[in-house]
Amino acid sequence: MGISMQKKKLGLYIHIPFCHSKCAYCDFYSQSNAGDELMQRYVDALRLQLEDYSAATRNYTVDTVFIGGGTPTVLPVKTMCELIGTITRCYNLSKDVEFTMEANPATVSLAALTKYRKLGVNRLSLGLQSANADELTALSRIHSTSDFEASFTAARKAGFDNINIDIMYGIPLQTAESFSNTLNYAASFDPEHISVYGLKIEDGTPFARMRETLILPDEDTEADMYLDCVSYLSVCGFRHYEISNFARPGCECRHNLKYWNCDEYLGFGCAAHSYFSNMRFSTKRDLMLFIDAMEADISRGGIMGNDGMGITESQLKNAQPIDEFYQLTPSERVGEYIMLRLRLCDGISSSEFESRFGINFDAVYGRRLQIYIDNGFMKYDGDRYAFTTKGMYVSNYILSTILDFDKDSRIVGGIADGSDKA
Amino acid sequence: MPTERQKKIRNFSIIAHIDHGKSTLADRILEYTRTVATRDMEAQLLDNMDLERERGITIKARAVKLDYHAPDGIDYTLNLIDTPGHVDFGYEVSRSLNACEGALLIVDSTQGVEAQTLANAYLAIDNNLEIVPVINKIDLPSADVEKVRGEIEDIIGIPADGCPAVSAKVGLNIDQVLDKIISDIPCPNGDENAPLRCLIFDSYYDSYLGVVVNIRVIEGTLRAGDRIKLMSTGAEFDIVDVGYLDAFGLKSGEFLSAGDVGYFTASIKSVGDTRVGDTVTLASDPASEPLPGFKEARPMVFAGIYPADGARYGDLKDALEKLQLNDAALTFEAETSAALGFGFRCGFLGLLHMEIIEERLEREFNLDLITTAPSVIYNIDLKNGEQVRIDNPSNYPNPDEIDTAYEPMVKASIITPPEYVGGLMELCQDRRGEFINMTYIDTDRAELHYNLPLNEIIYDFFDALKSRSKGYASLDYEMASYVPSKLVKLDILLNGDIVDALSFIVHEEKAYARARRICEKLKDNIPRQLFEVPIQAAIGGKVIARETVKAMRKDVLAKCYGGDITRKKKLLEKQKEGKKKMRQLGSVEVSPEAFMAVLKLGDED
Repeated sequence: MGISMQKKKLGLYIHIPFCHSKCAYCDFYSQSNAGDELMQRYVDALRLQLEDYSAATRNYTVDTVFIGGGTPTVLPVKTMCELIGTITRCYNLSKDVEFTMEANPATVSLAALTKYRKLGVNRLSLGLQSANADELTALSRIHSTSDFEASFTAARKAGFDNINIDIMYGIPLQTAESFSNTLNYAASFDPEHISVYGLKIEDGTPFARMRETLILPDEDTEADMYLDCVSYLSVCGFRHYEISNFARPGCECRHNLKYWNCDEYLGFGCAAHSYFSNMRFSTKRDLMLFIDAMEADISRGGIMGNDGMGITESQLKNAQPIDEFYQLTPSERVGEYIMLRLRLCDGISSSEFESRFGINFDAVYGRRLQIYIDNGFMKYDGDRYAFTTKGMYVSNYILSTILDFDKDSRIVGGIADGSDKA
Repeated sequence: MPTERQKKIRNFSIIAHIDHGKSTLADRILEYTRTVATRDMEAQLLDNMDLERERGITIKARAVKLDYHAPDGIDYTLNLIDTPGHVDFGYEVSRSLNACEGALLIVDSTQGVEAQTLANAYLAIDNNLEIVPVINKIDLPSADVEKVRGEIEDIIGIPADGCPAVSAKVGLNIDQVLDKIISDIPCPNGDENAPLRCLIFDSYYDSYLGVVVNIRVIEGTLRAGDRIKLMSTGAEFDIVDVGYLDAFGLKSGEFLSAGDVGYFTASIKSVGDTRVGDTVTLASDPASEPLPGFKEARPMVFAGIYPADGARYGDLKDALEKLQLNDAALTFEAETSAALGFGFRCGFLGLLHMEIIEERLEREFNLDLITTAPSVIYNIDLKNGEQVRIDNPSNYPNPDEIDTAYEPMVKASIITPPEYVGGLMELCQDRRGEFINMTYIDTDRAELHYNLPLNEIIYDFFDALKSRSKGYASLDYEMASYVPSKLVKLDILLNGDIVDALSFIVHEEKAYARARRICEKLKDNIPRQLFEVPIQAAIGGKVIARETVKAMRKDVLAKCYGGDITRKKKLLEKQKEGKKKMRQLGSVEVSPEAFMAVLKLGDED
């Protein structure tokens, strides 16, 4: 550590796979009604993993932490405090670290929030989803709007000056009017950030099984909801900065931006994803498998080694908790960058792209994008290519036409396609 | 007077309705005469194409020579000529029957007489064949031998008193069948020294031997080295080899004489030169008259066949050429469609023939195909006095140039249990059928006769017939004449452009309903695109139906789950894969499934 050098930045994602009860639409990995004992055992495993990886990150400064789930706030306060303690002890957190915790209304007390705030958590993400009681029931959410109000007020009182509210649209029984009421309701709390997610029926969820009987807004209503939401929130002073995200200027979620900017992050716990040392890898989805694998690995002396030089493919290969991993090829990196960066309203800057990859974006992609620019799905200001609001909502379709895929069934950029090189 | 040699020959066919057990009985006869040891038998040996075995139908006729040591102590030669079992191959059947003196008529004891039983029996009677009825499948619990015996006598009008009741499947009473062949079927006659006349009843291409021609010698004698002449074309060839076919393959012989069934090869390159029904004679001493009944097999049903992957055009062409080597009835010529690219306009004897060719192309040549809706040949008198034959809707003249259009009719016979008569008459009516009469075969079965336009039959008629009769009705038809008809060409437009592959000819009265259904079906099957896509159906520029595929509004992954990038990639990748399969029609993307859904648009949709 003698040589002073610019440290690389890193985000940490910690997955808490527990919920009071499982929501009908959710396909994140989580367990409901887990006992305190199991939660403690899981967090112990998590802490082992956090300690284990820490050696590999000595040359990094952690500037974002995100404890997500599930519902992290179902953990007993003592357990959560131990977890936070391990994070702050094992990693170099930067002074301006953004430390987010997800919470659901009716699962947080003022006392707990105050404690977490003191330990360094400085951003709270509250899942409101809807301000309509029928819709909340349809989503099988356990809270009411008064629960939400109480939680939000408590968060402010505890000192949280950076709060996100999650809301959803395209949910059963929802109408354009009820959605606009929800938006109105959320904005009235004057949060720093609002995430607005369209419901997607995921395979394996209760919603998928009852798909036939669900009364869902149709595609056009949903698209209208989205467009209305974008214009309403911008009038309220929120900047639309990613497909589903809105923030007061300067309050964009820095952790999530790492995903879209292809910056490095490590995921801890089961079903968590990492992008680190040019590799993407994930941990076992199943809670018990994860715990067992973690305990086994640690009893063999840990996996990540102590060389402090990052994580290698062979380490991952031998690590029992790891589910999938792969090294990115240069062309995959380009493809992923385009796919993810275009989620941002700023889109892709040709000059930044060239300095990052040494590839002339205009020459390679400009022609493919022209038809979308001409038809109002994208915009170009001489440097930046970005989706318009209308384009964002059909961005998968457009991405699937401009990105190429190689035979290894992973995404690659268009550089291999000679036809566009001229 | 038959010679002593001829007295020991029996030439016979087996005829039956589909699935009544023809091939199984052939197997048992082969087995019984020890032509094939039981252990060597592959089930249904006579059908040598995989497809035939799977579908349980015989596509090409073949002949096999059996040696039979009869209980009377005499060694007989039995020539079994297998016949194709479907209405599409009626002409080939009639030529095969012509090569015989008798036929075994198989009737399923659980089903009784069916449409093709009758049609085949009449065909055999027309060819002066001695018919030996055989009641099959008596091992099944639902067998009713006496009832079927009665049906054969009452409906077909041939005595069935002592007819064998057998189970080909388990090999029961096969000896009785052989006794009947010897006792009831006449031996051949014909002057062995007369000028040569041989009937071609089948031919196939072999890559080593060239065309192998299956013949029945009617008069005269054919030897290796003879120079022969085909009487329909005058083409001459030198015989390389003559002989007969046993269950294991070709066996060379010295000669074939009047009454014999066998084959010859003569370095012939294409089965197109050796048409079924043609007469073979000697170039040096030709017969004065050919055998009667020769007709050129003419395709009746046409469709465009395109490779799903345009790059495989060449492979498709090779495949069609290979199939044509063995199938003189298959025709094809290059065709271009703006929608589907390069492909071929193919002509078939009928729908089954078309299905078989399609399946063989896909299976044996590993091709993915898009086939356009089948069409028939329309004869059109133009106002300028010209006459044209149209087998492709794309070439259909403008309405104001047409004086009179004619379409081909068929005479159809449907046999059905009486409870389905109402539904089937409705179906025939709906298909513009003209009722001729209805007769009751017995209290359990009625026979309906209709004149039907062929273009209504090639359009999923058979499926509709089966679904309206719970599978019980059977169909047979024969081609009849052309009649004047009010036909129109219906064009389908996507985003203002005509999709040529979707154009078709339809009767004026049915145009509106069909147009609406096609537009609806397209709307349901074309995915939303980034822009609105109008779908229109038009007759000569006049739009008669319209639907709109609305512009896509939503195709987005709202959330990137906890940094799970792989999942989003997989999603896009799947989408991209799907896109690759799309056909680009102008600016509109259409999946092959959408095409097929529209092309296969059924009556019940």
